[in-house]
Amino acid sequence: MGFLAPWFLVGLAALGVPVFVHLLKRHVTTPRPVSSLMFFERGTQSSTRHRRLKYLLLFALRSALVLLAVLAFANPFVRRAANDAGGRLLLIVLDNSFSMRAGSRFADAKKQALATLAAKPHGEKAQIMVLGGQFEILSQPTADDTKLRAALESIQPGDGHADFGEMGRAMRTLADTVRVPNDLHLFSDMQRTAMPANFADVVLPANATLTLHPVGQVPAPPNWTIESVEAPSQLSDPKDLKRSRVRAVVAGFGTPAATKSVSLVVNGKTIATRKVNVPAGGRATVEFAPLDLGYGFNRCAVRVEGSDAFPADDARVFTVRRSDPERVLFVHAASDTRSSTYFGAALEAGTQNAFVMQSMPQEETSDIDPSRFAFVVLSDTAALPSIFEHTLAQYVAKGGSVLIALGAGAAHHTPIPLWGAEVRDAHNYARTGNAASMGQVDFGYPALEQAQPERDNGGWAEVKVFYAALVDPEHARVVARLADGTPLLFDKQLGEGHVVLFASGLENLTNDLPLHPVFVAFVDHAARYLSGDERLSGSKLVDSFVQLRSTTEPVGTVANVEVIDPRGQRPLSLSEARMAQTIRLAHAGFYQIRLANGRDTLIGVNPDSRESNLEPLPKDLQQLWSGSASGGGTQTAGTISNEANYRPLSLWWYVMLLALVTAFAEIAVAGRYMGTQREAL
Amino acid sequence: MQRFLDPAVLAGISSLDLLAKTVVDGFVAGLHRSPDFGFSQEFAEYRAYTPGDDLRHVDWNLFARTERCYLKRYRGETNSQLTVLLDASNSMRYTSGPPIKMDYARFIAAALFYLAIRNQRDAAGLIVFDDEVREYIRPSTRPGQLARLFAGLEQAMPHARTDFAKPLKHFQSSLHRRGIAIVISDFYEDPETIVQNIAPLRFHGNEVILFHILDPQEIRPVLKGSAILVDLETDQKIEVVPEYAKTRYRAKIDAHVEQLRTRTRAAGMDYQLLVTDQPLDLALREYLTLRQAGN
Repeated sequence: MGFLAPWFLVGLAALGVPVFVHLLKRHVTTPRPVSSLMFFERGTQSSTRHRRLKYLLLFALRSALVLLAVLAFANPFVRRAANDAGGRLLLIVLDNSFSMRAGSRFADAKKQALATLAAKPHGEKAQIMVLGGQFEILSQPTADDTKLRAALESIQPGDGHADFGEMGRAMRTLADTVRVPNDLHLFSDMQRTAMPANFADVVLPANATLTLHPVGQVPAPPNWTIESVEAPSQLSDPKDLKRSRVRAVVAGFGTPAATKSVSLVVNGKTIATRKVNVPAGGRATVEFAPLDLGYGFNRCAVRVEGSDAFPADDARVFTVRRSDPERVLFVHAASDTRSSTYFGAALEAGTQNAFVMQSMPQEETSDIDPSRFAFVVLSDTAALPSIFEHTLAQYVAKGGSVLIALGAGAAHHTPIPLWGAEVRDAHNYARTGNAASMGQVDFGYPALEQAQPERDNGGWAEVKVFYAALVDPEHARVVARLADGTPLLFDKQLGEGHVVLFASGLENLTNDLPLHPVFVAFVDHAARYLSGDERLSGSKLVDSFVQLRSTTEPVGTVANVEVIDPRGQRPLSLSEARMAQTIRLAHAGFYQIRLANGRDTLIGVNPDSRESNLEPLPKDLQQLWSGSASGGGTQTAGTISNEANYRPLSLWWYVMLLALVTAFAEIAVAGRYMGTQREAL
Repeated sequence: MQRFLDPAVLAGISSLDLLAKTVVDGFVAGLHRSPDFGFSQEFAEYRAYTPGDDLRHVDWNLFARTERCYLKRYRGETNSQLTVLLDASNSMRYTSGPPIKMDYARFIAAALFYLAIRNQRDAAGLIVFDDEVREYIRPSTRPGQLARLFAGLEQAMPHARTDFAKPLKHFQSSLHRRGIAIVISDFYEDPETIVQNIAPLRFHGNEVILFHILDPQEIRPVLKGSAILVDLETDQKIEVVPEYAKTRYRAKIDAHVEQLRTRTRAAGMDYQLLVTDQPLDLALREYLTLRQAGN
């Protein structure tokens, strides 16, 4: 017995009110005049006692009412044994991350989880959750052992990366809705790499008691893995040694120094093997060049030979698409000859002949089919032939991309082809003598992408712009601005395709960008972004997402997407195939995807390399974690404190009900008494 | 006309003159008798002659026919004298509903004065008393006497306690003619003491009537619960329970009324209990009956 809000007991002082009214304060009645008391006598003792009895009843009722009201606010509770139904909630979290595939870890963890579930008191509710990749809740809180067991049995080892921080966040969110005490049992290999950098992320809510069930060998067995692979996603010239090569990093975790054989496997055939000396617990790089690949998509893998404790991470997959150089259509004004020269040179230098540029004046584009080109560049084009502009709009709607450079004549032909807006004005910085410099550059944008831009604004700081058109961004994304805030580079999605607008020219008259090295990188990245090659091949990590269709496209107006996962199954249902915007790559292996714009892609998906490090959390850290969750005490498997065996049962409702009954009784008694007084007067 | 004699209705009339006229005219009309009843010379009876009788009263015509000597008796021509002794003690303020006992007593006195002076040509006077004589208006038939009496009644405000000894002694000392004395009071006193103080009025040949004014609640009090009762004259307070008021009190008040009635009649006085919810004609009838009998 206790009180959840004991400070309300101060209200017991209010008991003095009925005491004062009934015992201390004299009862006042209005005297009744009579002519003479000659024939009257004082009332007898029995009658007086009867009246006082009535007073005492009223006093008792009023005192009880005050007492019950105070008790209701203080919210009394009694402790009840927690093994009754609904008392505590058992949460079983099973780690199915990629590292659990090592040895018998997953089987052991599952076996322990089933045993814990079997030992659960009958009637106690439980919930099954999965940690690995995404934190998933497989069942609602239920006491049905059959359902719980089925949910637990259905868990299979996955390829995701466990993150204890995500589990902590999920538990804290759960605590907002589930108030009952939780017994959280985590069955995991307790990888050190699953622990976030900030320990506060894994702290569980106050009502949760954490019990850890570590599985796997301690210390962790030695494990070699291919930590990373660097390979081109697209290859047009296998003899180009700059691009036609694969560089892989072999890493050892808890391993002695050893010489390992590393093989490159293409479409199931080992085409090259290298020997590499890997230092103890260190890394070594191995390179395969040149790549001799067939046309089309090639399923490639780098594999480290030899057995270890975790064979599943010995290979790393990726795809390379071999194709002829793609054509780029460069449309320019008849008077503009410089831009094609600069752009073509940059394209050739940047993309290592992956693209071949075809330049033509705008007047000759009437019979051109844009779909035969990887992307189209419109440089300072005043008025396109209407038939070409129409086909170009269809080309973009179906997934094609166009780069528009406005050039020096922008102010004279205000409607911008395809863009759907006009040039509002133009800044001629050359007239003022002060050329504009670059201000903000979004290095996260694919065409401007730089992993670690230098302090000179990634090379853009030295670029001077003499002339720039002024265009309203409206719905477009502005990815670069001049120092005075004028938007310089826009990206707008039209249908499945993109239109990138450069508010200046591609020659050296309106700016000096073509004279700077950053121009080559810009053209290279822009070409790959506009051609869509980046999305069509290469490798990704498990649990990353692939965009299947444009987010702005109305649902149902384009063809279905098709996804075939590494197991040969279609993870999307028919309705999802029509509506899904993205797909999560949940499994390691090769995903074959046909996008909504009709283009096919093959993506190699690998587990997070952190999963290869099987080293568990130190014991003291485990104890610290489980201790912080149980309010200071250390929890080990199979022990639950006495405090946890009980839960408070609030008596608020009962007290309020009693107070209500007392209030009605008081009204009835007081009403009778006061009513009699009124009549007597 | 009975409606106009209802005390509750009369309580709404502010003018005692109008009130008395209303009561008396209504009462007289109901008698079906001449308003000059008993006023002119009127044959009353024959009585056998006894030596010493005045020979002027012998009916000689009768003697001539029968040779027997009889005296012929007539009703007296002299007017009677009415004196009202009005108790104005605090106990007369009591009421359980209009009118209060004091007002009811005023109505009776006013109606009697009106009947005596206007209708009977009697002399009328007033003594208002509590434990002292507060007002004394000598009986007279002079013009304006009725107005003086009404003014005396208007000014009679209840206060102090009742004491019959002092005012009755004053009345006896100022009484020179025999007449009718009417004592209007609630008589909260021992019957023996009351009779002892009032009985001397009879010694001078006065006819004495006691009008005992009581409120209905004083005869049959109803208490729904225990109550504190305050004596209007002494301010004494006691707590009384309903059971007592319902049983023993009623027996006591009944015994008091009966004892008062018995003792006053034994002393040759008339007694009439008047409850304030009764019409006033009962008091007027009592007066006329007594006047007729006494004269």
